[in-house]
Amino acid sequence: MAIKLDYIARETGSNLFRNFTITLASIMTVAVSLSLVGSALMVRQGVDRATKRWQGGVEFIVFMNPTATQDQVDGVGGDLRKNALIDKVTFVDKNQAYAEFKDLFRDSPEMIDSVTPDILPTSYRVEPKDKTADSVTGLSDEYKAKPGVQQVVSATQTIRLVQNVSSFFNNVILAVAVALLGAAGLLILNTIRMAMYARRREIEVMKLVGATNWFIRLPFMAEGLVQGIIGVVVSIGILAAVRPIFQNALPPADQFPIFSDLVPASTEMLPIYLLMALLGMLVGAAGAGVAVTRFLDV
Amino acid sequence: MIRLDNVTKSYKGDTVALRDASVNIEKGEFVFLVGASGSGKSTFLRLLNREEVPTDGQIFVAGKDIGQLSTWKVPFLRRNIGSIFQDFKLLSNKNVAENVAFALEAIGRPRAVVQTQVPAILELVGLSSKAGNFPHELSGGEQQRVSIARAFVNRPLILLADEPTGNLDPATSVGIMRLLERINKTGTTVLMATHDRGIVDTMRRRVIELDRGSIIRDQARGVYE
Repeated sequence: MAIKLDYIARETGSNLFRNFTITLASIMTVAVSLSLVGSALMVRQGVDRATKRWQGGVEFIVFMNPTATQDQVDGVGGDLRKNALIDKVTFVDKNQAYAEFKDLFRDSPEMIDSVTPDILPTSYRVEPKDKTADSVTGLSDEYKAKPGVQQVVSATQTIRLVQNVSSFFNNVILAVAVALLGAAGLLILNTIRMAMYARRREIEVMKLVGATNWFIRLPFMAEGLVQGIIGVVVSIGILAAVRPIFQNALPPADQFPIFSDLVPASTEMLPIYLLMALLGMLVGAAGAGVAVTRFLDV
Repeated sequence: MIRLDNVTKSYKGDTVALRDASVNIEKGEFVFLVGASGSGKSTFLRLLNREEVPTDGQIFVAGKDIGQLSTWKVPFLRRNIGSIFQDFKLLSNKNVAENVAFALEAIGRPRAVVQTQVPAILELVGLSSKAGNFPHELSGGEQQRVSIARAFVNRPLILLADEPTGNLDPATSVGIMRLLERINKTGTTVLMATHDRGIVDTMRRRVIELDRGSIIRDQARGVYE
């Protein structure tokens, strides 16, 4: 077995260098496409985080006074639920509010330390049936005046705009990334096909002396996988380098809190990196797999 | 060792390369396959190591019906069969020792085996002094010796030779035939397709003659025609 691993490593290495330029092209394509996938996911994550409260068609939020009596809270809730113009109402209690608060300010522990669940207001998230600006304004004005209500906040145009624009660009980027990943797979397939052509005499002799199919295939499959993995490493490097630059380019938190949240925290990047790694290896293995089954007649 | 029962091999279209051939070859025999170009000699050899599958009939090698062999077992059949060719099929980027070692490495033999077997087989074919040379630095006869060393280093039961002297002058051919005879004496069954009348007539071994795919003669201690 020792000689085999050693053999695979040697053969894979020499295959990679034999077609250096085309190998480089496939690695670069993998890297660029994965960077695009990664940044699309990164922005999506950021938008989700920044607009968490406004997801699922929530148009305005009725914040109750932290000191409001239970009767007042229930009264507003009952009122909202009975309202024929309203589609859906979700109650957020103090603990849920605290959990969201902690998540939103995870990068500023001093903020979290200064807050306890009981000083946070409970709230109702409201999805009206008619989501036009007039209807939303009318409804929120109506609830502002109710007893126990601290304030009513409605989804501003900005939030909707950020959500819409970002999801549009995200989809465009993802579509481009998928096309590029496909191209990367085909490039890897062709690199390996060329490597097999360059070694056709050796393959012929190997078959003749009774080398097993896997013995012949493995170095080529390893080649595809290695190209995918190098592409993954490069793309993660690109993303890790770009993230702080992107973050610095955003307006500071005290001006536009929504925008400053657009970059996910570094811990949130891990699943994105993992997904990229998985995709890269998948593309490499798929390209190599197709190449050895289609073009290696063993 | 080798048995063909009513074997027919036809290629696409109506080309029949081998027609209803039945042959029995014992262990340790030395057999010449003769016949004009296109008479089916190469197909005969290619059927034996499953480079081709018969259209009809059965082929037994070392007691096994190789038509029934599943694909993954074919490599293990080939480990018992050495092959040499008119064009040697040496790897030009490897030297003599590496070319021979490649055959052992490709079937996963441990390094220790490679290190003892390669010098021993090079000694046998008389090329010890050229172990570090590359194929293009060797004469045709020497190249064929390398390819014989590669085919025999794994001590196969059967050696298939497809016109091994086709590219060599008569004097060099004699040397190659001596080597094949020595290998045959170790108990290896040798099957050699050839056009070389001189060799066949001098050696007087079993001769099987093919004509347009049919066996028309099978003669012990035979001559070319």
